[in-house]
Amino acid sequence: MGGKVTCTLGEVKNRADFIVYWGGNPAECHPRHFTKYTIMQKSRFLPRGRKDRTMVLVDIRETKSVKAADIFLQVRPGKDFELITVLRAMIKDQPVDDSAIAEIGLQRSDLEDLVARMKRAKFGVMFFGMGLSMTRGKHMNSAALLTLAAEMNAFTKFVAMPMRGHGNVTGADVVMRWQTGYPFGVSYHRGYPRYNPGEFSTVDVLVRGDTDCVFVLGADPGATMPQPAIEHLKRVPTIVLDPHVTHTSRLANVHITTAPAGIAAAGTAYRMDEIALPLRPAIDSPYPSDFEVVRRIHEAIRQKPDWRVRSPWIERQLDAAH
Amino acid sequence: MLRIKGGRIYDPERNINGQVEDICIQDGKIVASVDEDAPTLDATGLIVFPGGVDVHTHVAGGAINFARAMSPEDHRRAQAFIRTQTTRGGIGGYAPTTFATGYLYAGMGWTTVNEAAVPVLSARHTHEELHDIPVLDKSLLVLMANNEILLDLLDTGEHERAKDVVAWYLWAAKAYGVKAVNPGGVAAWKWGHDAKQLSTPIDGYQRVTPGDIITHLARIVDELHLPHPMHLHCNNLGAPGNVATTLETMERLEGHRAHLAHLQYHAYGGDDWDSMRSAAAQVAEYFNASPHLTTDAGVVLFGDTVTITADGPWQHLLYKLTGRKWGNLDVENETGCGIVPYTYKRTNLVNAVQWAVGLELLLLIDDPWRVFLTTDHPNGACFWRYPEILHLLMCRDFRRECWNTFPDRIKQRIVLPELDREYTLLEIATIISAGPAKALGLNTKGGLAPGKDADLVLYSPNQDVAQMFSHPRYVIKAGQIVVEEGEIRSTPAGREIIFQPGFSPDVESYLRERFEDCYTMSFENYPVEMERVENPLIQSADPSGQS
Repeated sequence: MGGKVTCTLGEVKNRADFIVYWGGNPAECHPRHFTKYTIMQKSRFLPRGRKDRTMVLVDIRETKSVKAADIFLQVRPGKDFELITVLRAMIKDQPVDDSAIAEIGLQRSDLEDLVARMKRAKFGVMFFGMGLSMTRGKHMNSAALLTLAAEMNAFTKFVAMPMRGHGNVTGADVVMRWQTGYPFGVSYHRGYPRYNPGEFSTVDVLVRGDTDCVFVLGADPGATMPQPAIEHLKRVPTIVLDPHVTHTSRLANVHITTAPAGIAAAGTAYRMDEIALPLRPAIDSPYPSDFEVVRRIHEAIRQKPDWRVRSPWIERQLDAAH
Repeated sequence: MLRIKGGRIYDPERNINGQVEDICIQDGKIVASVDEDAPTLDATGLIVFPGGVDVHTHVAGGAINFARAMSPEDHRRAQAFIRTQTTRGGIGGYAPTTFATGYLYAGMGWTTVNEAAVPVLSARHTHEELHDIPVLDKSLLVLMANNEILLDLLDTGEHERAKDVVAWYLWAAKAYGVKAVNPGGVAAWKWGHDAKQLSTPIDGYQRVTPGDIITHLARIVDELHLPHPMHLHCNNLGAPGNVATTLETMERLEGHRAHLAHLQYHAYGGDDWDSMRSAAAQVAEYFNASPHLTTDAGVVLFGDTVTITADGPWQHLLYKLTGRKWGNLDVENETGCGIVPYTYKRTNLVNAVQWAVGLELLLLIDDPWRVFLTTDHPNGACFWRYPEILHLLMCRDFRRECWNTFPDRIKQRIVLPELDREYTLLEIATIISAGPAKALGLNTKGGLAPGKDADLVLYSPNQDVAQMFSHPRYVIKAGQIVVEEGEIRSTPAGREIIFQPGFSPDVESYLRERFEDCYTMSFENYPVEMERVENPLIQSADPSGQS
């Protein structure tokens, strides 16, 4: 188990005749997803657009996205992993107990129908949101769904993609990976990147009170993190860069207003499928860009004596000079 | 300014084979002489090579970055690069981080690399990563053989327009050359299929076959006067018996230049996994008689690595064979990409044959100017294991030690035990530097004559060949000493080498019309802005023809 079988959004637009949204509410959270990339688009291979596509929504409650779906499967809260596991068994024609299905809160006939449709599809895609990845089971739920998508390729073309959000979170993830090998939760304390979600992720570092300074860029932990983390933000020097005054700005020592990227500042954003898009400013701003502020802070820090490890070569040069 | 004094020079281009000569450097170039009082580097007794050139590697972009995400377990055990005043932190291993990639290549004496597989759609991302690979000069090849706009044009026989489309894509990506991966097969993979026969039309097309794509694209590349020929990953990679496809591909390339990538993966006989055997002799025989072709070996070494390729259907098969992690990334209109971690084992019949085939090709192809050292990093092994391969090439006894450990049933399937050839130092300098530089059309690389870029490497002679090549005494990049006795001394930024062929201006309106149907990005946002490329070194065939 592991990996990810995925594609860029244009593949979904051009080919996907079977689309599942799982644990997400795109109608409200990604309002242009339907029209730009998934169910509403016509293409060379799906000339009738919506009519050529089937959309399934899996969620624990009825959301505004239900109206857009052909099929809505209401899973019992916390039973997503069980449902995925049952589907993984059913696609391979393995026997599944009635009790296992009852536990999920669905009918066997619903699941049989779903499996038949998945196998009939020419190109299936599963988008999954935080309703799957941030509820009971967390990353194990995501891994199970990704595995289901991979295994479906024994029958037909199938892919899966997380519904990323929160501004340019995908961009941060991509850059961290090429510079450190890891997407997030990285510690540089030993001078090289180490990765341990649960230990080095921001929330854990704050809750433990391990930092003596916090620099917040493109995030609002003061609005989303648990109280002990927020208490620590108040205790230590906290610096916020943001176009708006955020909850975090209110508990920070320093707030620097920056020009919003893509509106008043240039830059790059990575789409949820990791395609880099150029951002061009439409208007001028009196405020500097995030990049400019970080550059100037970095410049100022460089004036301080360098405390980093010296390479043995430099040590020798210094010895020779003395 | 620098004078390198008293070194034993190996410069294949001028056929200088270990003669003692001084090398003078000024403003990043090798020159005929420098002032008497120029600083001197005493190279007495040292071996001087032109800096290594990697003709085929995967070091930046969506695919390797996907592999990094899939390999935390390898990062944890891999070499850690601790930040110092000269270097940034990073991780080595089989999918090294960008900074570490620069340090590892430079640390071994390689100064130029060619990233061999980039979808145009992710070229912007790839340039950002290349920017973060220090020291090295870099170029990139864009994937064209499964581009649906291009396939439509080939299907209807519109050769001239297809040529303009290719030139426009090269301009848009800020690329150097054209790569073809499993022509037609990756397009078919978009529906879960593949293309195994060169003369059968591709799924979803009326006429165009993989064979047509191969010849047309090779012709387009020739007509656009690209410095590097079409860089081809043949159909049927990795499959037993694929020698037939490879020979047929070479036949179809008659009359065109082409570079066949990682030939090791395309030189197998037998009918299935149980009967798989080396067909290196057959492939090498045909290749030796085809002077318009170049190739790189794609050597396999035993151990853990991760396989990454645009060949999506092959990776699905590898996932089914191994049951390991599988990453797949299909790119709209253009290509696919698959990632599967893999362990080559000497006890595995297939892996042992692969190991032998890579070396056999290097030993059976007579002309070192046409076969180059690669491992198709990270597919066959990581690039930082190149010195192990040089040891195998230079030392027949060491090879024997290795294949002697194989079970007898494997020894009957390979020809390696019969090969006595041992590479000389001059031949090594050819396959790691002069040859690949020439094949890439990088005229200022791969040599030590005045006028060349001052990229060179100095080794202390050592009986232990692998030791000698993995720990150069000095590495000099653009005239600056970057490595001294295995330590990174400075990390100057490298350059990006770009080739821009001209194209007819109407191609823009043609593409603009089709764009919205094929892509999800606006036409204006698609081309990479030249400002995003660090230190571009732009070449063009016809400076006036640029639109």
